[in-house]
Amino acid sequence: MISIGVPKSVAALCTGGIARAGALSEQATCSFAWVQSGVVGKSFGWSVGETLKRSQPRRAFATRSRAAASGGVNGTVADSKDSEYDYDLVTIGAGSGGVRASRFAANLGAKVAVCELPFSTISSDSAGGVGGTCVLRGCVPKKILVYGSQFAHSFEDSKGFGWSYDAKPKHDWNMLIDNKNKELNRLLGVYKNILKNANVALIEGRGKIVDPHTVDISGERIRARHILVAVGGRPYVPDIPGKEFAITSDEALDLPSRPEKICIVGGGYIALEFAGIFNGLGSEVHVFIRQDKVLRGFDEEVRDFVAEQMSLKGIKFHFGESPTAVEKGSDGKFTLVTTKGSEVADSIMFATGRKPNTKNLGLEDVGVNINSKGAIEVDEYSRTSVASIWAVGDVTDRMNLTPVALMEGMAFAKTAFGDEPSKPDHRYVASAVFTQPPIGTVGLTEAEALETYGDIDVYTSNFRPMKATISGLGNRTFMKIIVDAASNVVVGVHMCGDDAPEVLQGFGVAVKAGLTKAQFDATVGIHPTAAEELVTMRSPTRKLRQKSNKVAEEGAARPV
Amino acid sequence: MEMDTDAGNDVAGRAFDYDLFVIGGGSGGVRASRMSASHGAKVALVELPYHPISSETHGGLGGTCVLRGCVPKKILVYGSGFSHEFQDAKGFGWEIDGEIRFNWKKLIQNKTKEIERLNGVYKRMLVNAGVTLFEGFGRIVDKHTVEVKDVDGQTKTFTTNHILIATGGKAVKLNIPGQELGITSDEGLSLEEFPKKVLIIGGGYIAVEFAGIYSGMGADVHLCYRKSLPLAGFDTEMAEVVARNLEARGIKCHKHTNIVKLESHYLGIKATTDTNEEYHVDQVMFATGREPKTANLNLEGVGVELDEAGAIKVNEYSQTSIPSIWAVGDVTNRINLTPVALMEGTCFAKTVFLKEPTKPDYENVAHAVFCQPPLSSVGLTEDQVKANHGGIRGEFKIFTSSFNPMKNTVSGRQEKTMMKLIVHGATDKVMGAMMCGPDAPEIIQGLAVALKCGATKAQFDATVGIHPTAAEEFVTMRTMTRQIPKGVRDVYLRESRACRTSMSSLSKL
Repeated sequence: MISIGVPKSVAALCTGGIARAGALSEQATCSFAWVQSGVVGKSFGWSVGETLKRSQPRRAFATRSRAAASGGVNGTVADSKDSEYDYDLVTIGAGSGGVRASRFAANLGAKVAVCELPFSTISSDSAGGVGGTCVLRGCVPKKILVYGSQFAHSFEDSKGFGWSYDAKPKHDWNMLIDNKNKELNRLLGVYKNILKNANVALIEGRGKIVDPHTVDISGERIRARHILVAVGGRPYVPDIPGKEFAITSDEALDLPSRPEKICIVGGGYIALEFAGIFNGLGSEVHVFIRQDKVLRGFDEEVRDFVAEQMSLKGIKFHFGESPTAVEKGSDGKFTLVTTKGSEVADSIMFATGRKPNTKNLGLEDVGVNINSKGAIEVDEYSRTSVASIWAVGDVTDRMNLTPVALMEGMAFAKTAFGDEPSKPDHRYVASAVFTQPPIGTVGLTEAEALETYGDIDVYTSNFRPMKATISGLGNRTFMKIIVDAASNVVVGVHMCGDDAPEVLQGFGVAVKAGLTKAQFDATVGIHPTAAEELVTMRSPTRKLRQKSNKVAEEGAARPV
Repeated sequence: MEMDTDAGNDVAGRAFDYDLFVIGGGSGGVRASRMSASHGAKVALVELPYHPISSETHGGLGGTCVLRGCVPKKILVYGSGFSHEFQDAKGFGWEIDGEIRFNWKKLIQNKTKEIERLNGVYKRMLVNAGVTLFEGFGRIVDKHTVEVKDVDGQTKTFTTNHILIATGGKAVKLNIPGQELGITSDEGLSLEEFPKKVLIIGGGYIAVEFAGIYSGMGADVHLCYRKSLPLAGFDTEMAEVVARNLEARGIKCHKHTNIVKLESHYLGIKATTDTNEEYHVDQVMFATGREPKTANLNLEGVGVELDEAGAIKVNEYSQTSIPSIWAVGDVTNRINLTPVALMEGTCFAKTVFLKEPTKPDYENVAHAVFCQPPLSSVGLTEDQVKANHGGIRGEFKIFTSSFNPMKNTVSGRQEKTMMKLIVHGATDKVMGAMMCGPDAPEIIQGLAVALKCGATKAQFDATVGIHPTAAEEFVTMRTMTRQIPKGVRDVYLRESRACRTSMSSLSKL
């Protein structure tokens, strides 16, 4: 067991958090005792590879006072005696949502433990790792690979700018993967430190809910006032013959070698991001999409634009083709059989959605409702149908993004431990797709806006970025602003082109703040940037008047 | 404000040839002409013949921005940035066997092709807007008459109801012996031969941008400036970051250094400092400021007042001391940025031809410096709030974040991105946002919209981040770095600055 001293600042933070809940002096003492216990090594602060002993010292005050302090919010949680709980909170899953919730709960004075499966780059029922999907199998490694593959386009771009090489740039896949894994390991350490510094006990093992207040972690039963389920999701592969030959994004981020040719099934953001990665690194990429367009749910014009730009880089799209089987050949290659034909490749990757990890958690047995998609049903405060059990992040399948899980985790901590009921706000959440070129988007699509507001003004711009004028390549940038005609409020901003995710963040603030198109226009541009285009789109490309036309028609029908 | 737009006639009752005659076809002049024409005015514009290097006899449609500023500069920044990309690529598994070569001439050719294309675009834009174009030198004869001298020396005069001066500015050299041996940014963008060793005099944004350009392309660059930091007037902490980055990317920064003399030398140019240090270089570039181009316009003759800096004095509507004569852009030396000249031009056209008096709004104008990595900023600096700039008083909360961007964690580049938010304690309004790091100008633009509209820190915090980006850091800065009460001592600030170290943005998760 690793014993840790709790830094003074952390103790102070805890005290502060408790102070907000009332009864300062009593709990300040208690906090101190907690620090002491850490220092002498009877730590429940942090242990890896060992389970916790129930005889460990506990901070009973916190659990007791919490019930009293948060009684108003958590009225349904049965009050209890001091000794009843080992922890105020046990979190199952140390991904983005779980870590954030645990840290904040601890900062607010709660005694917290989080359990997580042992680390592996590929997730399963028995492997995971602190950091979760985002850090180990999602956002971070994905973006590192996107960076890696983008250099190929930089090399192409550089020629028009006067650069030349004796030989074609070569890429070493294993070096990229090694360096990526090095970075993941560093982040894994950072996360463990974050938990340690927040005085959250980390328990390695599989958590299973036994009753509304008990979690079984690898055979050890731990009593908790609150249980937070933050186990995330996993890639889903449809049940077709030979599906065991297919890989998912988990494996694709850690392949032993780069496939010369890869077939990717799916038209969502994961499929397209990986298509860009492998294309940049030199693979022949085929994308099979059941529908006739990529990125269902995104703005129609953005969907068309990104597919066109990706095709230009050599990615082959097969629209209207569904997979029916995967076959393994004697030459080590695989064949993807579809409704329209077949394609032989070195790897077949399925990016056909993700499913919440709700199996074998004991959820059904304790009465936690699960929806038809396998996600945990929660209320606006992330509470499940069992009052002491909560859930945040992808396992709830609300909006499956890291920053949303963080928001949900923080809101949960405030609600359950901060005496401040907080609902995560899922409106106007900006997001990005790291295709090449990337997409950044916030707010409604044109179709959604038309449906919601009836009368909208649409501003679009499709231009050749300055870099492309010199590189001579066909890269373009597309931008779109959607305005509610009645109020002049900007309800959607979409961009596909270089730097789109970075550009959109600031506009995300503006859209979230409910700013008008006039306020966008009043902002002076930063020249020369791509982003300045978003504050200089003066005339609408089209004005759609579904509501007022209707009103006008109705008006015309009436006798004057 | 006197506006005789209705008249359409001069004092003697004769009809004017034009409603508006614009001298100068740069950003401000072109915008004003187009907008005025679109409001129904009969407009003429005179501009000097095209040449990449400006002079009394040459200029060109597009002006400084398109021909000798923003555009060619950014093209060269892109060009030089690739060398850093090649370095960064190694950590991501890329290897290029043999030599990587850079061909300056090819880049300059492609750059010139592009600015000539844009020059044509501007011309077409004006023609399509119905603006009459004259190539030559424009001079004001009286408050309603402009004389155009064409390349052959032929002169014609035209009467006009309004005159707009939008002649911009030009680079100036230090008045030191041998100054003719040095170049300015004009020539710096069009050099025949790529210099192996360059001395840049000045610490302003042009100096640091060119230092990055030449250095990225392989030159040995020495940057000499008078003060202890480059970018005077910018946020001091951000200027420190820029200075650090310049050094880290191989530029030799010489602070407190004044060049007093340039001499020809058999190996190039010898530059001598006031402490008798000598630099032997191939090229010396003056980035020692710009001045308004007001010579030979006969401004004094017609009574247009100039200020001490030689800029045309205008009121809030860009009107000069002569009611029929107006001026926009760098020639007025207000905020010398292309988008500001555009704004001034648009407001002028509205004021005069739509009869909607419109003042350009100079508050929260964002700007960027394309050093490498770039710096961008909107609103007040920390130095300004400490000095009670603009009379805004009270306590300010400073949020800073210095982190290793994700790309650097794999490339191994040792260069941190720095971000700062300045929040007014009493109102929670974000008064300043700034960043030095990759994509900073693209990131700041959206924040500028938010600041322009008085967004609060709470509104920043309520915005969900876009992950993983650098920009998300701006909406996840939860903990204040320091507070500025009135009259706080610098020492205290520096200490607290040193105390704060942030891990990667990821550590915030």
